[in-house]
Amino acid sequence: MNLDQFKPLTVYSIYIASTPEKVWEALTSAEFSRQYFFGNTVEVEPRLGGAFIVRTPDGALHISGEVLAYDPPRKLAVTFNVNWPELIEKLGPTLVTYDIEQVGDAVRLTMSEGHDRPLSDDILSGGRSGWPAILSSLKSLLETGKPLVVKLGPPQRMLDALKAMGIKTP
Amino acid sequence: MDEVFKALADASRRSLLDRLHARNGQSLNELCEDLAMTRQAVTKHLVILEEANLVTTIKHGREKLHYLNPTPIHQIGERWIRKFERGKLAALSELKRQLEKRDE
Repeated sequence: MNLDQFKPLTVYSIYIASTPEKVWEALTSAEFSRQYFFGNTVEVEPRLGGAFIVRTPDGALHISGEVLAYDPPRKLAVTFNVNWPELIEKLGPTLVTYDIEQVGDAVRLTMSEGHDRPLSDDILSGGRSGWPAILSSLKSLLETGKPLVVKLGPPQRMLDALKAMGIKTP
Repeated sequence: MDEVFKALADASRRSLLDRLHARNGQSLNELCEDLAMTRQAVTKHLVILEEANLVTTIKHGREKLHYLNPTPIHQIGERWIRKFERGKLAALSELKRQLEKRDE
């Protein structure tokens, strides 16, 4: 799969007082992700073409994808497809890329969410409310040992837009 | 955090953020379209916004694209605003928005 076919539609970056190795571990391990990613666990098969999986706290498959760039502790790119019926057929695949860069004593983590077609702001609003909370919580976890407890309501604007497209949401 | 407040304390820079808010992921050329600012001034403001981490850039093919990065503002919110009952603040800004809309 050619990564350039995905245009980044949402890009966030955050500075974290940590090391690239720790940031990499936080992004790729279940015990870290459970703490900052709304209780979801991340599993990454550590190779190109490997499986990328996110499970909800009750163990259900939430997101599945494939590892498309694997360069620890600098770059990870995965397809990030939410497991809702017809979502991938109607919206196409989602690519999430993490770039980890040492800047002085800190690390800059840049997350980009790319798509192979234009999507409305309504559809993108879900990620746009979730990612800043996830990244801020990851930063707190690495810097203080404690995640931020961010209580977000359901991403209603996105859910309504998906429903209007005939995509069934839980 | 000083950098964030300094970067926001300028109307031209806020208008660049508004343009990215309206359409995220623009090249320098796109950002300069229909602007009263020179290209040089836009470049200078973008550097300040990038240093404050309010704008993030990504290379996509040959282009350098600019994205609004809300994480510093999110952190300000977490640090000073969340404690003061965000729900009520959101309700107040919604009320303000609705009232002002009616005046238009």
